[in-house]
Amino acid sequence: MRHLSLLLGVLLCTCFGVHRENFRTCDQSGFCKRHRNVKPGSSSYVVQPSTLRISKTSLMVDVLNTENNVRFLLQGYGLQHGIFRVKLVEAEPIRERYEIPVGMTLVAEPVQEELVYGGEKDGKLTFTLGKNKMVINVNPLRLDFFINDEPVTSLNAQGLLKFEHSRQKQGWFSSLGSSVFSLLSQPFRESPKEENNEAAEGAEEEKKVAEDEEPDLWQETFKGFTDIKPNGPVSVGLDIAFPGFRYVYGIPEHADTFALKTTKSTDPYRMYNLDVFEYDLYNPMALYGHIPFMVAHNEKNTVGVFFQNAAEGWIDIQSNVADKSIFSNLADFVTGNSEVPQTDTHWFFEDGIIDIFVLLGPGPKDIFQQYASLTGNTPLPPLWSLAYHQCRWNYNDQDDVRTVDQTMDKYDIPFDVIWLDIEHTEGKKYFTWDGSRFSNSVEMLRNLSSKGRKLVSIVDPHLKRDDNYKVYTDARDKGLLVKNSHGDDFDGWCWPGSSSWPDFMEKHVREWWADQFLLENYQGSANNLYVWNDMNEPSVFNSPEITFPKDAKHLSGRENREVHNIYGMMVHQATWEGLLKRSNYQERPFVLTRAFFAGSQRYGAVWTGDNMGEWSHLKVTVPMMLSLNLAGIHFSGADVGGFFRSPDNELLTRWYQAAVFQPFFRAHAHIDTKRREPYLLPEENMIIARDAIKKRYSFLPFWYLLFHESEKTGVPPMRPLWSEFPSESNVFDRDDVYLLGNAILVRPVVDQGATTANVYFPGEQTIWYDIDTYKPYHGGHEISVDAPLSKLPAFQRGGTIVPRKFRGRRAASLMYNDPFTLIVCLDKNGKAEGNIYVDDYHSYAYTKGAYALTQLSFHNFKLENIVLHKGKDFTTKEWLERVIVVGVNTNPKNVHLILADHSKVELEHSYDATSKVLTLRRPGVNVADKWIINLH
Amino acid sequence: MKYIVVLLLALASCHAIDRPRGVSIEKASFYQGGTEFRCFSNGKTIPFDHVNDDYCDCEDGSDEPGTAACSNGLFFCENKSFKGSYIISSRVNDGVCDCCDGSDEYDGSIACENTCEKVFAAIRAQQEAFREKQDAGYKVKLEYIQNGRRLKDEKLARLTELSKDKEFLVLERDTLQAVKEEAEAPEKEAKTKHEQAWEAVKAERKKKVEAEAASVAFAELDANQDSIVDFPEITRHPEFDIDSDGTVSDEEAKEYLEEAEQVDLTTFIEKIWPNIKEIYKPFGTKAEEPPADKVEPPLPEDPADPGKRPNFPPDDIPEGINPDESEDKYDEDNEDDDEEGDEDDLDGEYDIKSSAGSREPPALNDKVPDEDRMPDYDDETKKLIAIADEARKKYDEAENKVKDIDHEINEIKKYLELDLGIEEEFSALKGQCFEYTDREYTYKFCPYEKTSQKPKGGGIETNLGNWGHWHGPEGDKYDSMKYENGQSCWNGPNRSCNVKLHCGAENALTGASEPSRCEYQFEFTTPARCAAPLPAGSHSHHEEL
Repeated sequence: MRHLSLLLGVLLCTCFGVHRENFRTCDQSGFCKRHRNVKPGSSSYVVQPSTLRISKTSLMVDVLNTENNVRFLLQGYGLQHGIFRVKLVEAEPIRERYEIPVGMTLVAEPVQEELVYGGEKDGKLTFTLGKNKMVINVNPLRLDFFINDEPVTSLNAQGLLKFEHSRQKQGWFSSLGSSVFSLLSQPFRESPKEENNEAAEGAEEEKKVAEDEEPDLWQETFKGFTDIKPNGPVSVGLDIAFPGFRYVYGIPEHADTFALKTTKSTDPYRMYNLDVFEYDLYNPMALYGHIPFMVAHNEKNTVGVFFQNAAEGWIDIQSNVADKSIFSNLADFVTGNSEVPQTDTHWFFEDGIIDIFVLLGPGPKDIFQQYASLTGNTPLPPLWSLAYHQCRWNYNDQDDVRTVDQTMDKYDIPFDVIWLDIEHTEGKKYFTWDGSRFSNSVEMLRNLSSKGRKLVSIVDPHLKRDDNYKVYTDARDKGLLVKNSHGDDFDGWCWPGSSSWPDFMEKHVREWWADQFLLENYQGSANNLYVWNDMNEPSVFNSPEITFPKDAKHLSGRENREVHNIYGMMVHQATWEGLLKRSNYQERPFVLTRAFFAGSQRYGAVWTGDNMGEWSHLKVTVPMMLSLNLAGIHFSGADVGGFFRSPDNELLTRWYQAAVFQPFFRAHAHIDTKRREPYLLPEENMIIARDAIKKRYSFLPFWYLLFHESEKTGVPPMRPLWSEFPSESNVFDRDDVYLLGNAILVRPVVDQGATTANVYFPGEQTIWYDIDTYKPYHGGHEISVDAPLSKLPAFQRGGTIVPRKFRGRRAASLMYNDPFTLIVCLDKNGKAEGNIYVDDYHSYAYTKGAYALTQLSFHNFKLENIVLHKGKDFTTKEWLERVIVVGVNTNPKNVHLILADHSKVELEHSYDATSKVLTLRRPGVNVADKWIINLH
Repeated sequence: MKYIVVLLLALASCHAIDRPRGVSIEKASFYQGGTEFRCFSNGKTIPFDHVNDDYCDCEDGSDEPGTAACSNGLFFCENKSFKGSYIISSRVNDGVCDCCDGSDEYDGSIACENTCEKVFAAIRAQQEAFREKQDAGYKVKLEYIQNGRRLKDEKLARLTELSKDKEFLVLERDTLQAVKEEAEAPEKEAKTKHEQAWEAVKAERKKKVEAEAASVAFAELDANQDSIVDFPEITRHPEFDIDSDGTVSDEEAKEYLEEAEQVDLTTFIEKIWPNIKEIYKPFGTKAEEPPADKVEPPLPEDPADPGKRPNFPPDDIPEGINPDESEDKYDEDNEDDDEEGDEDDLDGEYDIKSSAGSREPPALNDKVPDEDRMPDYDDETKKLIAIADEARKKYDEAENKVKDIDHEINEIKKYLELDLGIEEEFSALKGQCFEYTDREYTYKFCPYEKTSQKPKGGGIETNLGNWGHWHGPEGDKYDSMKYENGQSCWNGPNRSCNVKLHCGAENALTGASEPSRCEYQFEFTTPARCAAPLPAGSHSHHEEL
């Protein structure tokens, strides 16, 4: 192995499984311990109703911490789509806290809506927003949220609010006494207005001294690294209760079940973007990216909480059902019924402010829309990026790339993109090529392009500190690099050795980075080269927790502590911007990222990082991706086959099948593993894997439609069952089956040697049809279905119409003009509905209306295509090749196609009475036209 | 994928038969107008106007030879004036020119140049080059075959010869073995006798030494000098404290005296001393402590100190002989005894290691003290030894001849077991090594032995695998060789190497790569892989489109 020597030193200690000791536990984190130690039931924060100021859409009121008389400002806003925003900040901070600028997580300033103040009554201030209500309890501070007068969410119900106000370090001057300290801090504070406050303030100072004597407040050490913490303790946290809810979901990324677990006997779920080598499953450890968005769902309502904070966070979860509640009595205030299930969560962040969006649904799809209205939608990806990606660390040279390309064709296995990992560069200097291996990358790119294929090269954010590396020297000379706590360019270890990192938090740095992707700057690239951002947590091999030290400084003067979880998203954003610039904003970019944050969906795809070639890791792809999809990251995937270790033939085959129905479909492998391009599988497995990949291609029109829907509505392509069957409570904790859109039920086989699979079919009135045989299954049961190695159990819901393309081409970009087949699966009433969405599949023309969207409906033996939208100058060659109607009880005598001009064409058809499948032969109409097909 | 590119053996020519798009002349008869078309595989009939109507009616795709409608169909590229070829249907009208005549792209979305002339010229040139290579290679191969067969014949002949020789040599060896055994019997008897005598002398000597030691101990134990040791006298010695309770009880003492109240010297020497000599310490020694006391005799570990071993000049201390501690103490304690020992010294011709029947030269050690050496054999015995030595020598010579011949037979058998090709054509590679150098490494291929790599700038050679087996696909076994169990990789498998053999005018290693970690791939050209050129006039059809 040629390339390993460099990594050896770094990796030697971490070869076999995750090294938990590299990462903090709650006990090793000062603020985590402090918040976990807050006792419930006695909040000292009290609202000062006399200070209430209200506008049409917002309110502002003072809150006093009666323990130390520190004053805070509570702000409330009514937002579009039924969202409340609640902010709590210090009234007179001695240091301005970091608030994430609009445009980073929030796609825009949220649109406000009228908030109706209902006055104060019994120590409660009531505000109404449409059908929803927020009630502020004055003493102690508590905020209750209601949907149609039903309590669904409550802030500080347990009284765990703890806002560590900014303070001066008690140094030499503290000995001068509290009065002097008061004088010193005078400029920063309003003088107390009332006499009797002085005594309280004296007490406050005493208390402060006591507090400041706690360890970890002004300095923390972990594994020999000292965090200097110049601002001392600045964390914020509070509890959020979900009365009436047994299950909560979201807050990715954790390698855990979809329904979140109680953390009573574990650490809290941690949220701190980290490069975790060979991560373990089913634990609350932090991973590569985080989204502080949680959803609670029950039979009646779905609500969400988005806590906008970029600092390290932890979330405790307790459930009165799971934990035989200790807090259920606290829920009684709203329900008056301790039998009602309740989930209590406790959120705390190391820095920043309390800025909470309460999304009041009430349905699952409302939640998706509400969250998307805040952090943005997933832009419709170019079609080819939804196809199959072939990746490996590493394709060794341009000959290797050509061989893979040709061999895939030889075996008739479609693929659209081949990927190059870090070895393609000269000494891990991104934007360069190893000239001895890729002497003519442009020709290589052209060869791929001739078959409609693309190349993705890796570009990581660490820059090798090499005076001959222009990207680095440029960044250094322009002063674009992240600093260490002393103010010098931060110097850390990553793939190239000693490296520095551009400060992507700054707009001008992101613009500089984006320019690097212009063809004149990225020599040897071409327009069919797209990008992969890895290691952007960022990963720093020789730093605490393998990332930036918390006291590293950004150009703004902010500590990394304040912005850590956003950094990776900004790398992604800048790269996305670079690809946009390259095409002069004409072509849709594709950028894959490992680190992410709320809003990352706007910049492309996310994958679940360095997983393992083991069955358990195949299984966990579903809950991990459901969590990502729930939190807005719709274009997500896991490495097919697993990154580390070599999967056996069965596992690799099953993984290909499972990934057919996961949004981002890429095979990837570690450099130490055996080659595993699908054609290397034994013939039996190769054929199954090839069939699976071809199946993916046949479903591309449906995938594309789902992403269109995602962009329009925020509803994820990959959905939990409860999003379509919200009142079916026995599916709430299921993550072995899921839905694609509203139509396809998927049950991947994730057990070695399995020949059957237990499939839960939701919906008592629903019929599900096997997508291969059209065999019907009735909903409301768990049924064992045959699942030999060649079978991926997937079922189309009766009542849906799924558009597909059955002509398998070698690449998706060669399928643009191919005809459609419509699979019409009838429900119990003989009805079905669906859509067709088509555009040019690669450019932004669709955003200017150059697309067609139709509504398909089947009822009364009539299939109708109604054009909902067709751009003025938009045309497509795509036509209707075939209609398969499933669940038809009789063979129609004749079938007529009626065109927009009312002309009538008789269609040939065939009917299989056993399977009740009717096939309509070659309607030949354009899919973007209006037409009707009548069965007589 | 056999069906992706099907090679047509018939030359396409311009027949005037009208046939649907994408149909070869061969199959044209299946598409002869009429009103119906019969699907190839299941006989299903469809209206003839459904042929090439861009809708797949036949499961086998036979109704759509000219469109992409059937995912399992084949399209025939006519390549007018050149040889036709098939492509899979999904490559029809996909915007990529696959047929050299561009006939697969007819929907107007892309204009394909007719590149057949260029393509076939290139193919012809390639074929020509290949044929030349093949012709040249094949000539060499014939030599290889000839040499290989001759070599094999020679080996076989030699094997027959050797087998005969061996029979004779084995007989000779067996005879000499009998002679040898006959001569060794009296030799052994004489030597044993001599050695037993010597053992007796040694035993007697030892007994005497023991008795002396016992006497000294007796004298010391006998505190009241009454020539009797009784149990009160034993109790004075703490080392007899069996239960380690700090005192030596009467019971404990008696136990050491074998339940007797008292013993005299004779009984003491015979019965008591053997049991207590390991425990016994001259009075005043602390049993648990190292003998730091100057009253105590020094440990024997310090032979370099001549002052403490007056009777044993340091130069004479035999290396490797570790004198027994108690004996040593005894030596130190009783000078008289030492003197007696001196008197008993025997001549320096004795060898403590010599033993009966040993054919090895005596492990002479000049430093062995004379008294420990066995006396020389008597003349009679020496004579018997000489006779036996002579018989042994002859036997050994015969045995070695058998071994040599066995070795050669094995070598030949090993060679004959090697799979050197159907016609022994790969025999020419055996015993040779070939090298190839790329940017970083020099790779070495020693057929039937091993593969290796070495950094270009010098350094340690890494074994990439030892000869394993032929590894070609079914039907073409000699396409590649597998070398396995090379040096193991850090955190990975043992290195292995696949050597792909191509026809070439000469033997050369032409490429090396590492497609998977620690799994190498070599490319090697050799005349041994060249097939016989086709007879003049015929064309081989290696072109694939």
